[in-house]
Amino acid sequence: MAEAPAGAHPAAAANGDAPYAVELRGITKRFPGVVANRDIELRVRRGEVHAIVGENGAGKSTLMKTLYGMHRPDEGTILLDGRETTLRSPADAIAAGIGMVHQHFMLADYFTVLESIVLGSEPTSGGRLDRAEARRRIREIFSRYALNLDPDVLVEDLGVGDRQRVEIAKVLYRGATTLILDEPTAVLVPQEVDELFGNLAELKREGLTVIFISHKLDEVRKVADSITVIRRGTTVGSADPRTTTARQLAEMMVGSELPSPQTRTSTVRETPVLELRGVTVASLTGRPAVDGATLTVREGEVVGIAGVEGNGQAELVDAIMGLRPLAGGTISLGGDDISAWSTRSRREAGVGFIPEDRHRQGMLLDAPLWENRILGHQTRPPAVKGVFIDRSGARTDTERIMREYDVRAPGVDALAVALSGGNQQKLIVGREMSSGPRLLIAAHPTRGVDVGAQAAIWELLKDARAEGMGILLISADLDELIGLSDTLQVMLRGRLVAELDPASLTPEELGGHMTGAHDGSGSAA
Amino acid sequence: MTAVRRVGSALLAPAIAVVFAVVITALVILLIGENPSTALRVLFDFGDTPAQQTQSIVVILNRAVPLFLAGLAVSVAFRMGLFNIGVEGQYRMATVLAAGAGAAVALPAPLHVLLIIVVAMAVGALWASIVAILKVTRGVSEVISSIMLNFIALGIASWLLTGPLRGSEEGAAIITTEDLPESGRFPAINGLFDVVGLAQPRGELYGFLLVAIVVGIAIAVLLKRTRFGFDLRATGLSPSAATASGIDARGMVLKTMLISGAVAGLIGLPDLMGRTHHFGTEFTAGLGFLGIAVALLGRNSPVGIAFAALLFAFLDRAAVPLQFADIPASVVTIIQGTIVLAVVVANEIARQLTRRRAERDTGQGGPPAPESPSPNPTGTAGSRIDEPQGAGA
Repeated sequence: MAEAPAGAHPAAAANGDAPYAVELRGITKRFPGVVANRDIELRVRRGEVHAIVGENGAGKSTLMKTLYGMHRPDEGTILLDGRETTLRSPADAIAAGIGMVHQHFMLADYFTVLESIVLGSEPTSGGRLDRAEARRRIREIFSRYALNLDPDVLVEDLGVGDRQRVEIAKVLYRGATTLILDEPTAVLVPQEVDELFGNLAELKREGLTVIFISHKLDEVRKVADSITVIRRGTTVGSADPRTTTARQLAEMMVGSELPSPQTRTSTVRETPVLELRGVTVASLTGRPAVDGATLTVREGEVVGIAGVEGNGQAELVDAIMGLRPLAGGTISLGGDDISAWSTRSRREAGVGFIPEDRHRQGMLLDAPLWENRILGHQTRPPAVKGVFIDRSGARTDTERIMREYDVRAPGVDALAVALSGGNQQKLIVGREMSSGPRLLIAAHPTRGVDVGAQAAIWELLKDARAEGMGILLISADLDELIGLSDTLQVMLRGRLVAELDPASLTPEELGGHMTGAHDGSGSAA
Repeated sequence: MTAVRRVGSALLAPAIAVVFAVVITALVILLIGENPSTALRVLFDFGDTPAQQTQSIVVILNRAVPLFLAGLAVSVAFRMGLFNIGVEGQYRMATVLAAGAGAAVALPAPLHVLLIIVVAMAVGALWASIVAILKVTRGVSEVISSIMLNFIALGIASWLLTGPLRGSEEGAAIITTEDLPESGRFPAINGLFDVVGLAQPRGELYGFLLVAIVVGIAIAVLLKRTRFGFDLRATGLSPSAATASGIDARGMVLKTMLISGAVAGLIGLPDLMGRTHHFGTEFTAGLGFLGIAVALLGRNSPVGIAFAALLFAFLDRAAVPLQFADIPASVVTIIQGTIVLAVVVANEIARQLTRRRAERDTGQGGPPAPESPSPNPTGTAGSRIDEPQGAGA
């Protein structure tokens, strides 16, 4: 834990005349069992875009919650415009001019943009919502900050980028002068990211301060005026985006050399492992969630599925795993038609599964690790003997997984909930690999894991591929998709709309396909 | 975590609950103008002579056996996240039909006993399977359907008793089925007292105690050591993870309810085969509901349920002596009710303490964050209501 700060502390307050918009001194926040933040030093000037970068789990979100009054720090002081301030609740923070745009939008679908923005601080006349007054103020905000939105459209009909602008407008409506954006680009495709950055420039021009949390270094360098790097819960230094390369930043973040998802030479063989023919999955809303998907995964091949989340990837995975009924089409595994097989039969036939949401689908959080080793392998040794659970076999094999896959835990009896996300994920990967599957369905295998675990998981996937395993990779991380895949399929509105060669593809081009900009059929819908 | 600490934390919640319940009850007794210490003395006064004392033990054990079975029946379903509120109806149906079947046939003793047990288990399982089928095919909540089926079961049992299975004479005040012949009764095991050197009590110790112990061990092994038990517990801990792991959720609902119902079918047999020898209007009622309380108190583990059943039986024994001491017998019910309420709260507190300690031990459990709330294992009993963490913003 105690690693010496790599860089110098944030550039001293050379221009001591103007107080910082936000200054944090020695912020420490402990949770039972962990120190989430330790001696955080942060200085944000008024009217700048200040990026806070760090790996998942480095403590960025904890820090932002401290600043937004969602919890109180155990030590340290918060200064706003040079005055020491105590924030007891988000209401305090809003009153002090701090607004937060959350990573996950908190909007009601059946409200209009106007209603969403005023929700919670409605102007009233005679006890009723004063729409005219609300509209006047909202229009003023829209024009002042060049937010291109129609106040009368339902939120339901908005795209992700527009929804984010609604969230920003909501914060501005409450009079925020400092905006915290928590991983705002995580949900956006590259084109939308550019629009967001345009909006941020407008905010800056109007003298507002933006604190931008991210772990995407290229974006940070593009948009930020100054950068503070967090590693393992503490600030390790600051950087000037104009003079710092992404690589230098990354090394500050990670504290070591960067891993890369690049695969080496092709290991694709001829034999198909998984074949989907016209796979269709019905949805409640009429349009099929998966519409006639046809693809083949061969031995030693990684087929990546790219797409903005919610375009049918989750349903496709469920269909392959037998968790959702098919409305049409066939699925075959190594030549056998498995369309009607149960999930257990599919697993026994050699399908490994790294689920998208490990807490929901991958683990029993309140069970010890060795029982989690059994999950999904209840019918196969070493976890079982006949109808009985083989306790010693499962425990020994859990120890092996912990050793080989570097799962850091006190022992096989530790509860799964006590492990960090990265260690949980490594346990799942190790478990799924241990039965030597023919096909691995890897849905967002490195989501929410730290960079060390990410590199380890990439290595494992590459090794498995080299040994002839077929892998279907679903991911939102475009670099991961391009780096690991042998073939890329783009999924849009339930259809596989393009097959791309990752060798000659940039993330921007891929982003274009994902939104349908490059796709003839997509433009109609 | 050392074994001592693990056992300590397992006992913590029930112990707190019992102490809390005793304090509340003492206050209630004070309120009605009686002396709590008198009540306490009555609770622990087993009698003056050795025979009286062993008789008290017999009363407690005989009461504990059906309570234990009821707790087991409820807990099997609880472990999978199913609330089988229908144990009451299941055992009433099972007992009346087993009593009828037992009285109608003549068989050599071991076979006759076996037949009655098999009929009772089959009827309980079948009655419970209605709940499962409704849930699996139509999505009907098992809570609603099992409660409703209780009323239907009580009605059918009454009709069977007054109609086809009636054994008592017309006009008798108490209506019963025909008595089981000698070969269909379960022999007492009073020999046990000679073996351990205690005085022979007045009454008979149910031989069904042995069956209950075997069933308890079987359920414990099933849950803890078998694949089926793993699937069952996994489904209780996280239905979504269980399904993704290949467990057939619908099949599990059906199988679990069948087991729960089969165990429920046994609940009435200790009294039927050991004491009354017939089912009637005066037959012990309410065991199914008490079973829910016993299962909660025993934290759904067979050993815990055994202790909980003994505790409830111990309290029940005092019902009559309390009245001799001018204290209403409902004091016992108050204690039991308060224990159950307190244990639900205490279980939840203990669970969070255990979880927090587990996180502290490794020092890597993530801080509470709204974007990664602990998924709600819609599991066992009320003790699993996850509070949303950091419900900020």
